Amino acid sequence: MSVLRADGVTVKFGGLVAVQDVHFTVNQGEIYAVIGPNGAGKTTLFNAVTGIYAPTEGHVEFNGKEIVEPLTGLVIFKFVCAFFAVGIFAVIGLNIETIWTAVIIDNYKFGQPFPWSVAATSWFSTIWSLPLVKNLVPLLVGGGIGAGAAAVSWSRGRSAPDHIARSGVARTFQNIRLFNELSLVQNVLVGMDYRMKTGFMSALFRLPRFYRERRESHESAKKLLEFVGLGDRAQQAAGSLPYGFRRRLEIARALAGKPTIILLDEPAAGMNPSEVVGLMALIRGVRDAGTTVVLIEHHMRLVMGVSDKILVLQYGKQIAEGIPEVIRVNPKIIEAYLGSEDHG
Amino acid sequence: MRWRPGPIFIILALAAFLPLLDIVLPPKLQLCEAVRGVFLYAILALGLNVVTGYAGLLNLGIAAFMAVGAYAFGILTCEIYPFQLGFWPAIALTIPIGALAGFILGAPTLGLRGDYLAIVTLGFGEIVQDVLKNLDVVTKGTQGINPLPAPNFGGSQWTADDEYKWYYLFFALLVLTVIAVRNLERSRLGRAWFSIREDEIASRSMGIRVEKIKLIAFATAAAIAAFAGGLSASVLSSTGEPSNYDFQISILALCIVIVGGIGSIAGVLVGALVMVGLNSIVLVKATAWMAANGIGSQGNVLLSPNNWKFLIFGLALILAVRLKPNGLIPPRIERAKQ
Repeated sequence: MSVLRADGVTVKFGGLVAVQDVHFTVNQGEIYAVIGPNGAGKTTLFNAVTGIYAPTEGHVEFNGKEIVEPLTGLVIFKFVCAFFAVGIFAVIGLNIETIWTAVIIDNYKFGQPFPWSVAATSWFSTIWSLPLVKNLVPLLVGGGIGAGAAAVSWSRGRSAPDHIARSGVARTFQNIRLFNELSLVQNVLVGMDYRMKTGFMSALFRLPRFYRERRESHESAKKLLEFVGLGDRAQQAAGSLPYGFRRRLEIARALAGKPTIILLDEPAAGMNPSEVVGLMALIRGVRDAGTTVVLIEHHMRLVMGVSDKILVLQYGKQIAEGIPEVIRVNPKIIEAYLGSEDHG
Repeated sequence: MRWRPGPIFIILALAAFLPLLDIVLPPKLQLCEAVRGVFLYAILALGLNVVTGYAGLLNLGIAAFMAVGAYAFGILTCEIYPFQLGFWPAIALTIPIGALAGFILGAPTLGLRGDYLAIVTLGFGEIVQDVLKNLDVVTKGTQGINPLPAPNFGGSQWTADDEYKWYYLFFALLVLTVIAVRNLERSRLGRAWFSIREDEIASRSMGIRVEKIKLIAFATAAAIAAFAGGLSASVLSSTGEPSNYDFQISILALCIVIVGGIGSIAGVLVGALVMVGLNSIVLVKATAWMAANGIGSQGNVLLSPNNWKFLIFGLALILAVRLKPNGLIPPRIERAKQ
């Protein structure tokens, strides 16, 4: 079953074509590697998949569907709310002096009780009796701006990284992006955040469900840290970790949201040979736990050792796709990439 | 695990017993009234700390929300308006009103970052002052709204003479604010704020809804600042004129946060003590002492420490940032609860 499918993905930056017409399919439970020389567009491809860049052409399907937030009734209701909120704000803002005079000042005699029912009707009749330029026009113009802005920000955000991550596509970064001042546990908890349910009020008043969720989430964060081999450093600041461990923490953070698929961008960069062996075991462990893995890697022993399928990019174009045994002996690829590297 | 008092607890416990010190001090050196101001600014700075310290969004217009709170409190309570609520319902209402104001500023500026956001919030601070000044019909322009009610427990209204009542009221409200902010800080929401401060792209890629989290930060900060504004209006029995809530207040709040430790509650409390204490305790008392002892005649402006205020302020800020770049009490990484 295909989990991730890219269909003719092209990313252009101005005149530069970073990724051109790439097709690939990743199946459930696979370890899929993307290789290619530096600047081949591997990371750009990842960024296009995870929504950091929008593909110029083509599209990415996840579990057979494109990941975009559907236009539900709730979303339309939000636009309507934005229309009336900004529209009414504009009407009141433009006529505040007239309205205040008519509703408050004219009705309130000092020392006497305020006639609330009269004020409530004069409120409406004042706005109603204004010339159209002062009530209907601001309502429509302001409302149009409000609803338009809401619609624009919604359509921009519908395939944004946060939405894609929430649909179960997690990733790590080539240039490690941890939250350095947070502890390891907290880093993992951020990855778990979108699975959590407690809101503002239960945090503010420390309701019982806050404590329950905190206990459960800390437990599973600890388990994840143990899974990647960082269990004994849980309370340390992420910024104080050695390089090789940071990659592992990024993987733990990405796994925290229980994603269907995880994208690893050069997980072995900067690791020594024994760390790479450990990383290979970890990647297999992630796959065996049920998460499909896509990885970008230069480290040939790791790629050939763990992947089920390999995609080769060069200058943004895909030049081959296949199982490691075939890729290893393909002369085109050896010339483009492997030829310059010791791959024994 | 044995419970150890943290810095926040120690500071607040010391503050609780401060009025005892006043009993032994001579009247000229009594502190309570001035420390009340420290509490007020501490509440304001705790609000700013949410948006600037936790979420990393530089806000230079926090005084505007204080003005919103003060005027909301004024309009809701003063007898020239029909609402005439008591102290407690009005002060409670300043919180949602402030949050709404924060939402109104936050919503259109979500895409902005760093310097650009700072400029917009700066502008917002000026706009609010101008609106309040020119909207005569509603806000009484430069006169301010007065008189405003004080809280009453069991009948009689407090006056400005009930110094210790005010002290403990402000103290209690400061403690409540500290607890509220601390609860938010150590929750899922606080973690999300930290994560967008540290790395927005990474937190977005982890599924954090950055816009929503930023808006909540804005609204929370504005709500706390408005609360502080309502309190200050109540203790002064007047909103004062709109220019009381100018850029200087925002900068003072920002200095408190920076000097104390960005993102640290204990730091904000200490920062408020240092900055406001310098401003309204040390300099004022020094001036009074010098005047009492005949040094610094009224004619010589240079001999009055009060006039050296901004120089001393600037020096203090430079020294603090040079020697303690993370603040006097830097934030600690949260220890996870077992």
